[in-house]
Amino acid sequence: MALARIERLTFTYPGAERPAVADVSLELEPGEVVALLGPSGSGKSTLIRALAGLVPHFHGGRFEGRVEVGGIDTRRARPATLAGTVATVFQDPEDQIVMGRAENEVAFGLENLGAPSAEIWPRAHAALAAVGAGRLASRRTAELSGGELQRVCLASALALEPDLLLLDEPTSQLDPEAAEEFLARIRGSGSAVLLAEHRTGRALALADRVLFLERGRLLLDAPRAQALAWLADQRPDYLPPGAPANGDGRTGGELLCRVADVDFSYRRGIPVLAGVDLEVRRGEVVVLEGPNGSGKTTLAKVAAGLLRPDAGKVELRGSAGYLSQDPGRYLVRERVVDEVALAVRDRKRAGAALELVGLGALAERHPRDLSSGERERLGLAAVAVAEPGLLVLDEPTRGIDPERKKAIAAWLFAYAAEGRSALVATHDRSFPADRRVALPC
Amino acid sequence: MRLAAAPAAALLAATAATALLAERLVAVAVLAALLLVLCLRAPAGRRAPYLFGALSSGLGVLVLSPFLATVGYQVLWSGPTVPVLGKLDVTEEELRIAALNSLRLTAVALAFTAYALLVDHDRLVAAAGFARRSALAVALATRLVPSLERDGAGLAEAVRGRGVPVSGLRGHARLVPPLVAGSLERAGSLAEAMEARGFGHPGHTRAPAAPRTTWDRLALISGIVLVVAGALWL
Repeated sequence: MALARIERLTFTYPGAERPAVADVSLELEPGEVVALLGPSGSGKSTLIRALAGLVPHFHGGRFEGRVEVGGIDTRRARPATLAGTVATVFQDPEDQIVMGRAENEVAFGLENLGAPSAEIWPRAHAALAAVGAGRLASRRTAELSGGELQRVCLASALALEPDLLLLDEPTSQLDPEAAEEFLARIRGSGSAVLLAEHRTGRALALADRVLFLERGRLLLDAPRAQALAWLADQRPDYLPPGAPANGDGRTGGELLCRVADVDFSYRRGIPVLAGVDLEVRRGEVVVLEGPNGSGKTTLAKVAAGLLRPDAGKVELRGSAGYLSQDPGRYLVRERVVDEVALAVRDRKRAGAALELVGLGALAERHPRDLSSGERERLGLAAVAVAEPGLLVLDEPTRGIDPERKKAIAAWLFAYAAEGRSALVATHDRSFPADRRVALPC
Repeated sequence: MRLAAAPAAALLAATAATALLAERLVAVAVLAALLLVLCLRAPAGRRAPYLFGALSSGLGVLVLSPFLATVGYQVLWSGPTVPVLGKLDVTEEELRIAALNSLRLTAVALAFTAYALLVDHDRLVAAAGFARRSALAVALATRLVPSLERDGAGLAEAVRGRGVPVSGLRGHARLVPPLVAGSLERAGSLAEAMEARGFGHPGHTRAPAAPRTTWDRLALISGIVLVVAGALWL
């Protein structure tokens, strides 16, 4: 018997013009791992929310069809009632943290669901250990990095020992090794898993079955082997990436940024960077790699002139722009075009920058009405519009689908080819570059 | 010695209440000084904005209220007459009242600072029993301060990253509306995540807490004694 069943689900968010998912039917069997692929805004997160009962209970909107989980019709049960049978990990770990300490965060769900008191701490600590976060148990959540918070959120879901685990980009802030380790543990958890991922290589390696959504419609529901053949034929960008399609390795341009023997620490005595060197030359795209906590973001900020090093030297010829992680969170204006025009005070240039990232038609919308993928592109346009000599991007492919990632990479190479340069800090080993710089842990 | 969350919060609340009830300047000053020493145990980076808020608001009351009040006959300084406010003079009585109110406000703000920075809010929620929802709301509201601080820093950095300088009071004030909008958006996401994790599910339980110690009991008794003393003798 199916663990979850969706029958002809069509759902439209309040005020939306078209449905987020349209006429979707599928079943999930106990213990199977299903990869959910598709472009940004294709309805993956909505499908996950429908299985968790959050659609329609939390969001409202127009709901047609039927969703059943563990024999419960989600229209007749609140999400809190489904919790335990279903556990969900959402995209942004920063938005899911309720408690002040990691172990209390994991215990929160167990307490809500009425787990026997004596079992709560052992289950919470076992779940933290299972995701490699045992050492974080007593740490304050406010002090954890994005990657560490993501592990805590995953532990919170695993501790509930759910029948169905819904994961929406669960490894977006983990380095490749940590992501692979985590997904292997998920496979062994015994729960059925629905895994929405833009980094398709890992999801496809793990999945028994693959779903592909586009514009709210389910285009593919097939076992992995069959799905790989379909992807190769229909959507080759979603196939596991091979070696990154690097540029031609141009390194001969004039020096634009030089970081020499730099030390930096946020707190006295705990160095994040120690004796680090970096050079970025005109015309090249440089990727900065390294595991969680290696200091990629810090070095990117130092190179962009946003952080002053404790020791060492930073030389920057010309201007630098910096696109932070999760730029969609940091929006300051009421209209998309004004958001981009903030740096140049020129709506015409802002409009042109929006066209370049495919948001020209949304210029008059409120930035917070955009989807997360659209916000990422808006952030890129808002930084690039000033055409800084050095464009520094921190995890620009987080939450971005493979097609859009390819487009961003192509755009960056074109940007650099015009006599500027780009420095990209990322976990994404498939992101192309002229040169890759690895930071040790 | 480390107090459990509930007795620690109760003792801080009692200290703040005593500061409000007490009439003797020296008694309130001693309470404020004790609370300040306690607050200095928090990490320097985290305590700075709280201490600035507590001490500057106290100082504001001390400086402004003598000019605005019209109490007492021992005039120390006689100033001009200002429309609406009247004659700006400062009396000995006004200074004493200003000092008392300033210390009271500082003590209450410092008690909140100690609560926000030194008390484990999670355990306070766990200890709340029947009022768990209210305690959780208070804990989340308390965490709003550091969250806003972090978001504010991120927002300022994102704007600087676009080549737009953020400086001075006006520059930072412009970031307040988007910061508030971002907080509301975050609150919606948090509510969704809480519901997905069973918040509101009937029959919740509690993770076992460490047993009460003698220090915890002493703290509770001290709190009661302090309030009574504040009301009757201080």
